[in-house]
Amino acid sequence: MLNVDLFINGLIIGLFYALMAVGLTLVFGILKVVNFAHGEFYMVGAYTYTLAAFKLGFDPWLALPLALAAGAAAGWLTERALMRPLYAGYSSWGLMRDEYAVVVTFALSLLLINLVDKVVGPYPQRGPALLDIPRMALGPIMLSGQKLVATGVSLATIAGLALFLRYSFWGRQIRAVAQNRLGASLAGIDTTRASSLVFALSGALAALSGALLAPIINASPDVGAFPAIKSYVIVVLGGMGSMPGSIAASLALGVLESFGAVYISYDYRDTFGLAILMLVLIFRPQGLFGERGREV
Amino acid sequence: MNTLSRHWRLALAAAAGLSIAAHAADPIKIGISIAQSPPGSVVQGTQVKDGLEIIKDHVNKAGGVLGRTIELVYEDNQGVPEKGRAATEKLITRDKVVAVTGGHQSSVCLAEIEVAKRYNVPYVNTNCWSDDVRKKEYPQVFNPGNYNSRVGLAMAETIAAMGVKRVIAFVENTDYGIGQAKAVAEALKQKAPNVEYKYETLDRAGKDFTPAVLPLRADPPDMILTMLLPPAAYIVMNQLYEQGVAPSAKTWLYDGAGIADYPDFWQNVKEAGKYMLEFGLYHPQMKTPKLGLEVAKTYQQRTKNEPNRLIFQAADSLLLIVDAIKQAKGTDPNALIKALETMKFEGVRGEFRFSKEPGYKFHQWVDIPYVNFQLTEVNQPVSKSLLVQAPGIPLAVGKLQKPVK
Repeated sequence: MLNVDLFINGLIIGLFYALMAVGLTLVFGILKVVNFAHGEFYMVGAYTYTLAAFKLGFDPWLALPLALAAGAAAGWLTERALMRPLYAGYSSWGLMRDEYAVVVTFALSLLLINLVDKVVGPYPQRGPALLDIPRMALGPIMLSGQKLVATGVSLATIAGLALFLRYSFWGRQIRAVAQNRLGASLAGIDTTRASSLVFALSGALAALSGALLAPIINASPDVGAFPAIKSYVIVVLGGMGSMPGSIAASLALGVLESFGAVYISYDYRDTFGLAILMLVLIFRPQGLFGERGREV
Repeated sequence: MNTLSRHWRLALAAAAGLSIAAHAADPIKIGISIAQSPPGSVVQGTQVKDGLEIIKDHVNKAGGVLGRTIELVYEDNQGVPEKGRAATEKLITRDKVVAVTGGHQSSVCLAEIEVAKRYNVPYVNTNCWSDDVRKKEYPQVFNPGNYNSRVGLAMAETIAAMGVKRVIAFVENTDYGIGQAKAVAEALKQKAPNVEYKYETLDRAGKDFTPAVLPLRADPPDMILTMLLPPAAYIVMNQLYEQGVAPSAKTWLYDGAGIADYPDFWQNVKEAGKYMLEFGLYHPQMKTPKLGLEVAKTYQQRTKNEPNRLIFQAADSLLLIVDAIKQAKGTDPNALIKALETMKFEGVRGEFRFSKEPGYKFHQWVDIPYVNFQLTEVNQPVSKSLLVQAPGIPLAVGKLQKPVK
């Protein structure tokens, strides 16, 4: 029974990781840079949801899309204000490109954390539950109504995103830009708009994750650090830029941490992912689902 | 020439007089190192600041000390030891503070006291519970706040009185958390040697503790102790409740970190806090000196929150420094240290002297009063909670309430 509990709990946590990690994967896929402020999009979602419900009196089900919109806006603004130099006339930067992305997103992360700390306050805030059942038995497992709803919404969102990327007009454009920015541009795709869309999507997904988890992992200024670190591990583990890889790696990491915490030691829970990451980097540097790149 | 030199002498004397007058009117600077931004406990830092500000205003309104006002110089240590070390260095060398106080996270205090020792500046520890802060026996360090051995003993006595047999503690992976877990283990050897006790360390920055909780579902202990600061403490409580582990008809939940009086407690735990037994250092039903009541009233007026232990501990920390300056008739560090060592202090929580016993009692208010109370309703303020043990009174086990299932 414990093993069933651990497995299901691992899958649920893995699903939450996935919601965060796919956004990061999309950004890496299209811009080939790591967004170090991704965790703060999560935090923006958690706070928007919580404050909209408590301060503005929104119903939690209305606060949820509001959080998603806030995350999308944050992502879109980040791309417009900070990311454009990466592909709009600064090609002469050459090697400085990566450093720019690291510095600017890291600075954004610190700015947002401290801004929220000063404006909203340091106190953790638990968001309202979408389904206010503190605990319920679902077969052999116990979980809260919020966890159940968050799991369902996460599953639906990830499935919807996969369909969007595969079949929609914009989804195909995003995939084209991810494959080859120059080639997509030559084929008439507006790569700048695709980048904006990806950043908005990434922000929206992270914010949705933050909002869904605000009643479980209380919102606080630095709440984004934990999911962001997991996401970085997952993105590399799954293969940089691979969405199926990110989802598989998220679920695997969730289950691994769940079992490892009980059968090895809880103290080392956060190191399991890093240990696997090192092994993958040594033996399969392109990640589990990544492909070796070749440039001519 | 004589006239000229007399004029010069007069001018110099006037200038010197003005300088002395200006010096006498300069505020006395006291350094405050607290967490004002993450990852430190900003909740605690804010409360410490609130308590300090109340006493600063009180002292300044009464004319200051030795005719000079008190000025508090703040540094944000972010709850990070190396930042605390740098903050203390800056306060002492750049701001020329006469003493440092405000410390509220043990790992940070342990770093800061090294600097205070090096510069021979009095350091009044507001809320760092780790015994190690005392065990170093630095003459500059004084501890009017709580300490792990005290909590360990108090919790062990409670465990013994309640007759529980199997206890599991969840503690944060810090000097405070691990130190307190060990202190409970030591105290249990004396007070309840038959109790089966083990502790699990949790990452204070962690967000999902379910894997640590799940194994307890099949085999719940009689009592779970929590010794973590928020937000981790809140998340653990919620996950214990979600999994039906504690509080339950089988398992007591007993918090040793004193989190029930934090302003954000109920907003974050809701049902998970009902029936929690709490070790506390302040309860409105405790006997409190007149000045303590004034501090409580001012705090409530300023923040609309119920006062808690940190407000009083911070108030006493600053009052101690002010009283030492009065007794020493100046700010010479050696005189201040001597005054702190020898004086009988009447603060907002009672009267005490610092112990000179070695080890964890060094420069400590040894008999710091504590209480045990139980939260019997959701959103219950501490003032309405069930006081099951007042200072110096045995635990009223019969009064304790447990959930039906």
